[in-house]
Amino acid sequence: MNFKSRTYWLFLLPTLLALLIVLIIPFFQGVYYSFTEYNGFQVSAFVGLDNYIKLFTDDQFLYSLKFTAGFSIASVIGINVIGLAFALLVTQKLGKVSTLFRTVFFMPNLIGGIILGFIWQFVFLKAFSGIADVTGIEFFKGWLSNTETGFWGLVILFVWQMSGYIMVIYISFLNNVPKELLEAATIDGANKWQSFWKVKFPLIIPAFTVSLFLTLSNAFKVYDQNMALTGGGPFGSTEMATMNIYDTAFKVQDMGYAQSKAIIFLIIITLISVIQLYLTRKKETEL
Amino acid sequence: MKIKLSLLSIILLGLLVACGLNESGDKSGSGDKTVIDVFNIKVETTDQLNNLVELYEEENENVDINVTTVGGGQDAASALQAKFSSGEEPAIFLLGGLSDVEKYQDYLLDVSDMESAKTAIEGTLDGGSMDGTPYGIPLNIEGYGWMYNKDIFERAGVDPASIDSYEAFKEAVEKINEQKEDLGIEAVFGFSAKEDWVVSQYSSHFTAPEFNNNVKEAFEADQLNFEYGDRMKEYTDLFNKYNYQPILSLDYSTSVEELFANDQVAIIHQGNWIVPSLNSLDESFVQEKLGILPLFVGPENEGKIVAGPSWYWGINKKKDDAVVEESKKFLDWMYTSEKGKELIVEDFKYIPSHEGYDPESISDPVSKEVYEYLLNDKSRIWTNNQYPDGFFSEALFPEFQKYLDGQNSWEEFEEKVGESFTKMR
Repeated sequence: MNFKSRTYWLFLLPTLLALLIVLIIPFFQGVYYSFTEYNGFQVSAFVGLDNYIKLFTDDQFLYSLKFTAGFSIASVIGINVIGLAFALLVTQKLGKVSTLFRTVFFMPNLIGGIILGFIWQFVFLKAFSGIADVTGIEFFKGWLSNTETGFWGLVILFVWQMSGYIMVIYISFLNNVPKELLEAATIDGANKWQSFWKVKFPLIIPAFTVSLFLTLSNAFKVYDQNMALTGGGPFGSTEMATMNIYDTAFKVQDMGYAQSKAIIFLIIITLISVIQLYLTRKKETEL
Repeated sequence: MKIKLSLLSIILLGLLVACGLNESGDKSGSGDKTVIDVFNIKVETTDQLNNLVELYEEENENVDINVTTVGGGQDAASALQAKFSSGEEPAIFLLGGLSDVEKYQDYLLDVSDMESAKTAIEGTLDGGSMDGTPYGIPLNIEGYGWMYNKDIFERAGVDPASIDSYEAFKEAVEKINEQKEDLGIEAVFGFSAKEDWVVSQYSSHFTAPEFNNNVKEAFEADQLNFEYGDRMKEYTDLFNKYNYQPILSLDYSTSVEELFANDQVAIIHQGNWIVPSLNSLDESFVQEKLGILPLFVGPENEGKIVAGPSWYWGINKKKDDAVVEESKKFLDWMYTSEKGKELIVEDFKYIPSHEGYDPESISDPVSKEVYEYLLNDKSRIWTNNQYPDGFFSEALFPEFQKYLDGQNSWEEFEEKVGESFTKMR
């Protein structure tokens, strides 16, 4: 490809324009607003770095960052373990059933976050308390009414939603593992367990790069599920960073401050993603 | 080849731009009709509003009214702001309190010469006025306090009329609690502490007397000292003790439509807006069982409920003159014409905020009670509408939940909330 060719740039132009309008210009506008006091209508003052300084003493924001990090770790592990397990299950020779399983596992991903939130709210509040009433098991009582159940409620919801999607990625990589390698392993006397860990696993490491990246960045950016399921409650203890930013912007009407939070949040996500990509890339095995 | 390709991309680009132009072209030109965009927040009466609009359009063929309704769990105030930021300002929209009036003041029309402003009940314009100029037409009167189930009270042997002080209320609650099993109820209270607005409204009973029951004073205050915090603590401890648990995840619909409507709890903190949804479940409930009890707060410990206009219709003066004129006509028609009045009380089941209505035409007993409280001067103002932006959801509500959960002492609650009030003002 000749990078200087006119057609090349011409073809890129629409995309570049779109990116410029919806991404690049708003980004720089955002950076500008983060240095101001802005209520959504007019900029009332230029405050320099004040917003950023205020950030570090904002307990609720720092707490929401911590909470988001905890949530991301728990759900990234959960999603990838379950997604991989699903993928292994449906790549077994089960005939028609495996297609059915694939569809069923993938289904939650087709439902929007808000609706999922309400579905699970019903499960946690109504179905769980129903089970508790019948069986008397303490575990099912009072879900979403304290921080702990709120946290696990969110993790369960998100794992349930994303696992099927990640499963699809693992399936494609598992199917690409050359048959002759597995056959050779069997002839050498490897059992299923060994051939998974010694042959399949190293070959699907690239899938981890993709899956970890997707789950990590998605987990950090969760908003709708959070809003619909717990709404940040009780007492703001399940409020994730995105929600904190949204509330600062649209409830407290402090757009400039919210913008500075968003910038910090962006930097954090970028750093984590870059580090993660770098680390998993190193582990990839070439055939 | 190269030329062809570049031609193609130019055409594609052209198409893209053309599409964009087309879209914006469609909106401004829709015949000779005057288009009025209405931004509605009252979800409960969306159907009624659409019905009213349809009738109006039949009578006035030159007007086309588009109603957008946002609310019910969604953040209506943000949606309205988004409309303004994106340049799609509605012609008529709802204002929640003086901070909304202040925010949109550049857009708001002085409504003082409108028929529907002149007939508004004395004092109801205050919540929509800035420096003496009214900018909003009150939507209706809404009132709240302890909504209770008369039937349960009767079976428990408690006479609601005898409750004339906090102590009497406490006694009544304890008496009902003792007979919980015989009455077949889950708990005495069904306070939904999952909803920030319920907590916010509840706090109004105790903050209104601090601001001398004055809308303007509440709006201008930069301090909240919880002068009547002790009483608030007493009430809070009382319902927290006898509430359906877990209180922190009890939401509006469980509280009202499940527990209260099915005689599972005796008292909830709500207002007359629950009437339509109770009616949709069982018409007889509202007629026979629903009542409202006041809260005893303030220097004289008088029993009052909170009642007053909570929303105001504002008109956008930056629209074309024709649109502004038609908007005024529409609102006047809604509140002062015979047909409009009829719809307001019978179809919307609103408590009217305007004069010239027959009190007897209010169909349900609770709304009548609320109306009487207001007329007899036994009501407090909607202080919660004058709190700083985001105060109730970001400061008051989480701290209140912490107190209910036992993570905070009352002193910490008062201190932290008071601090945030000053900071957010």
